[in-house]
This record gives sequence, C-alpha cells and structure tokens, in this order.
Amino acid sequence: MPEYLILLLMVGVFIVLAVPLKLPMGFAIALSALAGALAGGQGFALRHLVEGAFGFFDIILIIASAMIFMKVLQESGILDSLVAVLLKTFYRNKVLLLLAVMLLVMFPGMITGSSLAAVLSTGPLVAPVLMKLGLPRLKTAAFVAMGAILGMIAPPVNILVMIMGGGVDMPYAGLTLPLLIIVVPLAVIIALGLGLKDLKAVSADEMKALLPESVFEKNGVRLYLPLLLVLALMILQNLNVPLIRDLGLPAIFFIGSLSGLFCGRPFNFIKATQKAVEEAMPILSILAGVGMFIQVMTLTGARGWAVMTFLSLPPALLYASIGVSLPLFGGVSAFGSASVLGVPFLLALINKNALITSSALSAIVGIGDLMPPAAMAARFSAQVVGERSFFKVLRYCLVPALLLLAMGIGVLLLAPLLDKVI
Amino acid sequence: MRIVYHLIVLYLTVHFLWYLAREKKFWKQAGIVLVLIMFLLRLFLVE
Amino acid sequence: MTGTETMSLNRFVRAALLFALTVLVCVLSGREFLSMRAADAIYPSPGLTAARALSDYFPALKGTPGDTPVYVYAGPKDGGNVLVIGGAHPNEPAGFVTAVVLAENIRAVRGKVVIVPRANASGFTHSDPQEGSPQRFPIATASGERWFRLGSRVTNPIHQWPDPTIYVTPTGQTLAGIEARNLNRAYPGKAGGNLTEKVAYGIMELIKKERIDLGIDLHESAPEYPVINAIVFHENSADLAATAQMELQAEGFEFRLEASPPNLRGLSHREWGDAAGIRAILMETPNASHGRLKGKPSIGLIIDGKDKFYEKAARLGRLFVPFGPDGIPLRDRVARHLAGLRAILAGLTELDPGKAVEVEDLPTADRVRVEGIGAFLR
Repeated sequence: MPEYLILLLMVGVFIVLAVPLKLPMGFAIALSALAGALAGGQGFALRHLVEGAFGFFDIILIIASAMIFMKVLQESGILDSLVAVLLKTFYRNKVLLLLAVMLLVMFPGMITGSSLAAVLSTGPLVAPVLMKLGLPRLKTAAFVAMGAILGMIAPPVNILVMIMGGGVDMPYAGLTLPLLIIVVPLAVIIALGLGLKDLKAVSADEMKALLPESVFEKNGVRLYLPLLLVLALMILQNLNVPLIRDLGLPAIFFIGSLSGLFCGRPFNFIKATQKAVEEAMPILSILAGVGMFIQVMTLTGARGWAVMTFLSLPPALLYASIGVSLPLFGGVSAFGSASVLGVPFLLALINKNALITSSALSAIVGIGDLMPPAAMAARFSAQVVGERSFFKVLRYCLVPALLLLAMGIGVLLLAPLLDKVI
Repeated sequence: MRIVYHLIVLYLTVHFLWYLAREKKFWKQAGIVLVLIMFLLRLFLVE
Repeated sequence: MTGTETMSLNRFVRAALLFALTVLVCVLSGREFLSMRAADAIYPSPGLTAARALSDYFPALKGTPGDTPVYVYAGPKDGGNVLVIGGAHPNEPAGFVTAVVLAENIRAVRGKVVIVPRANASGFTHSDPQEGSPQRFPIATASGERWFRLGSRVTNPIHQWPDPTIYVTPTGQTLAGIEARNLNRAYPGKAGGNLTEKVAYGIMELIKKERIDLGIDLHESAPEYPVINAIVFHENSADLAATAQMELQAEGFEFRLEASPPNLRGLSHREWGDAAGIRAILMETPNASHGRLKGKPSIGLIIDGKDKFYEKAARLGRLFVPFGPDGIPLRDRVARHLAGLRAILAGLTELDPGKAVEVEDLPTADRVRVEGIGAFLR
C-alpha cells in the first residue's frame, strides 16, 4: 500500500473512532496507529507502539507533576491569596496590569522553553486576576495560551531553536536579539489587543469586593514559597548550579508541590494528586497515542512521504509550506515538528542567517501548541479558566496566532535585511 | 537524582492504578492503560 | 476484551482485566526491549596484543553500562599511537562496523592502534523512539549470518536518567537537554559527571595513558546534512587532513574537508585536540537510515541504503551527496571509511615519520566493495 494511503487510513480510522463512536481521543489515536501498522504489513508491531509512546515519556512526567503542583496551589489556598495580592497591586492601571500579567505568564516559558510549564505554573495565578477585572473567560484562556507560547519562543531558553540548531550544528548563542525582535512587539500587541477593551478599571472599594478569600493573614509570606521555589529552581538549573541543574522540571514541580504542604491551609496531598491525575489523564493518553501514531508513520514510510511532500513544493510555495506544515505537525508535538520538519526547512534556507531563520521557524512551530489533537497550550489554558472545550478558546487565539505566523514568515522574508541591521 | 525520578514514577504509577480501579467508564479505563504500560516498563527499568 | 458483556462487568473486574492486559503488553514488548542488552560478539584478529576495557583506564566505569571493550594492536617496531573510535553514535552503522572490521583483521607492524568499536555501549541497548528502526541487521559471512545491533544516537535513558532541561557541556556549550546523553557532545568529559560524561572522560584517560598521537572518530550523517563524505579536522591536523584528501582523490574518493568550528564544543574533533593536544579527525559517510526524509525503515535500508524519497530529494537538489536508484550501501560506506583510515595513516607517516603507524591486513576499499563486508568478518 502506498504511504499516503496508509496515512489516509490512519487519519480515517481516528476520525471514525473519535467522532461518531466518541471514543476518548487518546485511545482512538492509539487504535488508528495500530490500524496503520497492520495496513503497512507490520503486524501488531507491539514493540514499535510502546517505543513510540516513550518518545513523550518525559513530557508526560512534566505534565503529571505540573498538574499536581497546580492542584496543590488551589487546595492550599495559596492561589487565591496570591491573586488577591496581584489585584491589590495592579488594579489601578490597565495597561501596566496587562503587560505585567503577560510577562508573568511568559516567564516560566522563557526559562524552561516549555509553554506547558507556563500555562500550568503562573497561568492559574493570572487567569483569576484578569477574569475578576472583567476579561471574559475564553479571552483570558487565549491570553494565557498566547503568553505561554510567546514565553516558549522568548529568550533565554528556546528549546525549539536548540533542537533545530542541533540538527545543523549551530551553537545556541547570539539568539537573544532575533528572538526578542519577534517576541516583544507581539507580546505588547497581543496583551493589549486581547485585554484593553474588556478590562475594567475599578475603584479601591470595588477591588476589595473582588478579592478572593485570602489565607495571607494566617500564613504570611510563607504563601509565596512554593511558586517562588519553583521559579527559583527553574532559573538556577539554567545557571548550571551543581545538583540543581540535574533536577529537571518534574522534580522541580514535585518539590514545589511538597513545599505547599507547609505553606497554606492544610489539605490532603494524596487526594490532590488523585484529582490531578484524573484531570491530566486525557492529555497523557493522547500523548501516548500520538507517540504511537508517529512511530507507525515513520515505520510505514508515511512520515518520509509527508516530509518529502512539503519539501518538494516549488520554491515559491516554500514559505506557504513552512507556514502550514510546521504548525500542523506541531499539533502532534512542537518539539517533534522542530526536529522532523524544522531541520530540513532550516537546511533549505541555509543561504540565510541561521540565527534569524531558526528564530523565525521556532515562532511558527510555536503555533502548533494551539493545534489539535494535542493543542497543549490551548487545552491547558482552557482547563485553567474552567472551560471544558478548548476549541472555544481557539476562536480567540486565531488573530494572535495569525499575527505570530505573519511575524515568523515576515522575519524569514526579511532575513537578509535584518542580518545587516543586527 | 535517578532515585528521585524512580520514586516519582512509583508514586504516579500507584495513583494511575488507583484511578484505573476508581474510573467507571470503560474507555477512560482503557486510556489509562496506554500510560500505565510506559510507567510500568520504566518502573522496572526495562525501557 | 470487547463487547457489551465486558462493558457491563463490575468496574473492578474490568480494571483487573485491563491491568492483566497492561502486564501482558509490558512482558511482550519488554522482552524485545531487553533483547538489546546482550552485546554482539567481536572476534579480534590474531594481531591483537591486549584486550582491555575502558574501565581499565577509568575504574569508575567498572560494572556500569558505559564500560566497553578496548582492543590494542601493538607492533614490534616503534612508532606513533592511533585511536580509532566506532559506535559513538550507535545509529550510524558504518562507523561501528568499520571499527569491527578493523579489529577482526589488522596486525600492527609499526606503532600501535587502539580500537574502541562500541564507544557508547549504552546507546546500543535501545532504539531512538519514533524512528521505527529495526533493532538489528545481518551481515553474511563465511561462517553464517552475523547480527549486529542498530542502537540509538544517545545513551539509554534507563542508564542515565533524567535529562536536564538544558545541557551545558563540560566546556560550557548550551544544548537541548537530550544532548546530555550524546557522547559526541560530552568531551572532554567529567570524572564526576553523568554516565555519558564519564565515558567521555574514560576515553580522554585512554588517550593519555596509551599516549595517543592521533584520534579518529568514525561517524555517519544524514544525506541532507552538509557535513558529509567529509573529513572534519582539528586545526592541528589540517596538514594531515589535506594530505589524506589528496591521496583519496587519487584513488577516486571525493572527501570534503571541514575545519572543526572552534565555537562548537564537546565534539571529539574539537576537545581531543584542545584538551589532550592530539591530532583529531572525524569522518562522516552518508546514511539514509537515520535521516529525516527516509521512507520505510528496514534492514534493507541499512544494508542496501536504497530509498525512494532520498532519490527524489537528490533530484530536487536537497542533498549534499549524489543519491541514485542504487542507493549508498553499507558496503560502500565501510569501504569509504577504510580508504579514509588508510590515507590518514599514510599521511601521518609522511608528515611525521617518527609517529608512523603501519598495519598489515587492513582490508582495502576495493576488496570490501567487491567481496562484501562479510568476507572480512570472522
């Protein structure tokens, strides 16, 4: 069977299982991978299915531990207390508030290179602030999702560029400026664009009425500890501090979660974990399924067919191909997209400044975090604001995402010019 | 650090098993299996 | 496990059945994963003068998955000392197979050759996820088929876990976290570092204790990657690389010369030269089976090196090597490495007669291409 037919069959099986039969997405993707393996003459290919899932094992560990951290912040009352502090500080000035909140969402992404770390660590903190001041729920979710993606792209740590750079032997140095050129204007425009109209300036009395119940009186500055600890450890691991540099995000989130036991109102850690596991499970099984799907795509030659199809488009369509395929594959995994497609595209653009092109490509790959089926940034920001369907959030991400895409393509096109300026 | 991660995986595996027993919907249970396979293989340091 | 009967079962019974299924999948797939832990046999030639382990040079590796065999071939006449490394990236079969062919054939006449065929032994014990690679491939020999493992580019996560978020190499280069398990980013290693850094440190200790003058690291790269069919050299070896290239050109082999970029840290061709002060060279042959454009991965792709998508990419001008319908078979890639090795040894003799290394029974490229690799394996 030709590769494209196998791919078509896999997608078809997935759609049938997920839409009319309403199977959970993770299991539907896993079964479509199995169907692909069978159609490709590989039998049950058990080893391949499991091996493919392991491609996302590290990300699954990060999500599970970050979800526990988020639950701990909620259950211990720390989240509400910190929201109160933020409200008291910023309620007077809308513009300042929006920019500060945008930076706050971006920050964990900037230092970990992971949009997910941003959505799940400072996302839950800023979302209630925005909503209490009048930003609609879905717009708030879009704000968090876009901030997280911009944080992932922003310096100092951009793992997407590191992955692409690794494929072409480009050292990770000299990227701060090109990345800032892409991120800073967008962060300002998107923050103000999404928030300025709906956000209300409130009086001191109104603000007081909005304040959530705070356990600050009882616990004092200890409340800041879990979040500060997590952020501090994230920074220290980048500074190559012995022991801490080897922690990794899952351990950092676990340390933060455990510290929450001593910093806020008492709660049951085991039950909080179980709640977190229950909420995280759909995306965990989707990632496992997607890992299987990619492995079977590779195994049957469908991945090679897809990569070659995008690469063999005429030069005039190269940029269109980049704009479509990178985000599309990013819906499966942004890191996967950077590696499988980002590297060949970077090689195709090799006569331009690789620092600028890889920065621009990483911005385009970042959009993938909004794309189904994984849609990591959109999915978890929906969860942060208590919205069940992330598709509704996507509606409000559309314009910001197009801006990001335009910026990415624009920088690619203007690379020779920028090269002279910076 | 490896011991720490081994403990994290053990802790999560126990929770996945508990959730598997608690969940009422079959297909949701089946979704847990996909994740559980990996955690068991890593717990016993196979893959 | 399907059907309404199961659906109506008590949820605990269902959970138990699903758990049993989980265990079954773990056992079945686990057996395949564990099958990669057993090392392929290597049968050194009678010219072998000492069989050692990397842990003999750096005892902290003893009993770890990073320990690996070291074969020493010392000649009766004084000369230079050369180190040949294969399997730094276990998914690049020509590098590893060339080192095995070398170990199973040569006899040193002058100077000393030290061979480490499986430099990253841990990397041979698993496959790269989502690459769909076969676990092993056969080479036909006079005594039957010999199977070799096709491993992963990086150390097994079971042996080195977890990856940091970002990895800073011992010489300060920042890389994506997974590169913490890449031996060819870990030089000059760290005695107290992670397993991969320890292996790199062990190789540096070997270089010191065996008084190595020239290190050669055998690799492969994807056909879409610019550094290919290449000799990458430390600046202290520019003369050697150029001499070898001319010699190779006379024999009909085109090799690119690539200077090791001084700002790209942690690689053998950089740190062996900088940290140990030895001449350092890395060679790359084209391998479609670990490229991003490859079609169906298979044993055939590894051995015969044929791939229709790479053929198409070549027609579109996307590749840095010619790639026709005949592909680039493993036989030709090993032959190319052998030709390169021969030319580099000849160059060393020419440039620095006091450090000359002469070996006998080094299979020629022509014979490997005609008779096959198996003719030179025991």
